[in-house]
Amino acid sequence: MQAGSEDDPCEEISLVGFNRHIGPIFLLAPEDDGTQRYVFTAREIHMNAAGTVHGGMLMSFMDVAMSKTARGASATSRLSTIALSCDFVSPARFGERIEARVRIRRRARSVVFLSGELVAEERTLLIGTGLWKVVPSA
Amino acid sequence: MSDLALPLTGFAPMALADPFEIHIGPVFEKGARGSRSFAIRIDERHVNRGGVLHGGMLATFADLALGAAVFDATDGAPSVTLAMQMQFLKSARAGDIVQVQPLLLRRTRAFLFVRGDFTVEDEAIFTAMSTWKLLDQGHIDGDSGTNS
Repeated sequence: MQAGSEDDPCEEISLVGFNRHIGPIFLLAPEDDGTQRYVFTAREIHMNAAGTVHGGMLMSFMDVAMSKTARGASATSRLSTIALSCDFVSPARFGERIEARVRIRRRARSVVFLSGELVAEERTLLIGTGLWKVVPSA
Repeated sequence: MSDLALPLTGFAPMALADPFEIHIGPVFEKGARGSRSFAIRIDERHVNRGGVLHGGMLATFADLALGAAVFDATDGAPSVTLAMQMQFLKSARAGDIVQVQPLLLRRTRAFLFVRGDFTVEDEAIFTAMSTWKLLDQGHIDGDSGTNS
């Protein structure tokens, strides 16, 4: 199924800059436990010469998903990535619908701890942990 | 952005094969094989809503540059990224030139360990540490990791 098609309604979150350049990336409905979900479909621009999705695209998608999740309700705060770790568990292929599942593990005053994974057809592609800095708006 | 066509002093455009790298490029390089430095000029495609260089762009540049160091160290043997740990030290903006000279820390029969300290005007903005696995010939498609 094509991400963002009429059978799969969701909101596009890749509207400007780098997100737009590598998108489209869509928001999906969260899971009951609060896990936030995002999706993109691997196109030609996302690939490497070996015929799998480029690791840079997978890390970028995880960064976007964690940023959006960390922002959460505090939409007015400025957030930025402090640290991101990614383990590449299995390759992703052209045309696959790749879903990010991200969870906030702790939201402190000035930092947010996140963990997440990328999956395609229930196959784990990438496992990530992230640390985001929160700068409260004045 | 007309900046895209501008050369970088001392650097030459790097030949890119991966569609995603071409999409986010150009990337520049200088130096001899095995001790190459790499550079990108940040433009409007690389930044977020606030005009700050996107973490994903740095992650992609790191995968590309550290992968090139692995390529040099192995005479182009097929390899995949197993893991990458990144720290974002300082923000960068459109017009900034980000440089790195990757450092090969150790190579074993099957694994390589590479790190890169990325700078803008000699100030550290980002660091990446990556683990790579050399693939057995003819075993590329079935192995784990992400070819790069």
